[in-house]
Amino acid sequence: MTDAETLGDVRLDEDLSLGSPWVTIVWNDPVNLMSYVTYVFETYFGYPTSEAERLMMLVHGEGRAVVATGTREEMERHVEAMHEYGLWATLTKADA
Amino acid sequence: MRDFRRESDGRICAVFEPEEVEIVVQLASEGAALAQHARDGADLRSDPALIRLLPDAYPDDAVASAEFRRFTTDGLAERKAVNARVVIESLAAPGHGPVEVRLDDAGSTAWLRAITDIRLVIGARLGIVQDGDDGDIHDEQSALLRAVYDWLAYVQDSLVGALRR
Repeated sequence: MTDAETLGDVRLDEDLSLGSPWVTIVWNDPVNLMSYVTYVFETYFGYPTSEAERLMMLVHGEGRAVVATGTREEMERHVEAMHEYGLWATLTKADA
Repeated sequence: MRDFRRESDGRICAVFEPEEVEIVVQLASEGAALAQHARDGADLRSDPALIRLLPDAYPDDAVASAEFRRFTTDGLAERKAVNARVVIESLAAPGHGPVEVRLDDAGSTAWLRAITDIRLVIGARLGIVQDGDDGDIHDEQSALLRAVYDWLAYVQDSLVGALRR
C-alpha cells in the first residue's frame, strides 16, 4: 500500500514536470512606462522589487523576457492577465 | 493636476483641473466604446489599436491565437470597458471646479489599466511603434494628441509612485 502510494506520487511529479514546458514572454513596447511594468511584475507575479526590476530591464534592453514558466493553461492565464494590464505578452513552448 | 499621493486613510488621491477632467473623460469614453466594439465582434485586424489592446497570444500560431481569443476576448474587452467607466465615474463631480479623485485598491487598479489602454490606443493612432518614436505629428490635432499622451504618462507614473510608496 505504502509502496503503491509512493509510486503514484512519483508518477504525479513526472506528469507535472512533463506538463510544464511553456513560458510567458513579455515584449518591449514603446508605450508602457518602466515604473508601471515593474509594478505589474511585483503586484501580479509577486516578485520582489529587485527581481521585478531585473525582468523589466531585460524587457527594456533585450526586447523580451521570460516572466513565468509552467503549464500551458497557467501561461494562458498569465498572458490574459498581462493583456488586461496592457502589457504585450505571449506564450510559447519553453524549448521553441 | 495635483499629483497622486496616498492619504492617511489609505486612499490614493489626486486633483484634476476641469479641462484635464474633460480630456480624460472623453478618451475613456472612446476607450470604452472601442472595447465594446471588440465585444461586438469587430475584426481586430481592421484597427491597429484593437490589435494592441488584444494582441496575439501565440505569435507564430494563428489558429491557437484565434482559439485563445475565442475564450478571452469578450471577458477582457468587458473588463477594459468597465475600467474606463470607473475612471469616468471617479471624475464625475458637481460644479465646474477642480475634481478630487479618491481611489481604493480596486479603483487604483482600474485607473492604471484604463490609462494604459488609452495610451496604447493613442500610441497606435500616432504610429508610435518603437522606443523613441515621436509618432506621426502632422497637424494641430496630432500634436495635441501627442501632448496628451505624454501628460497621461506623467499621470500614470504619479499613480504608480503613490501605490508603491
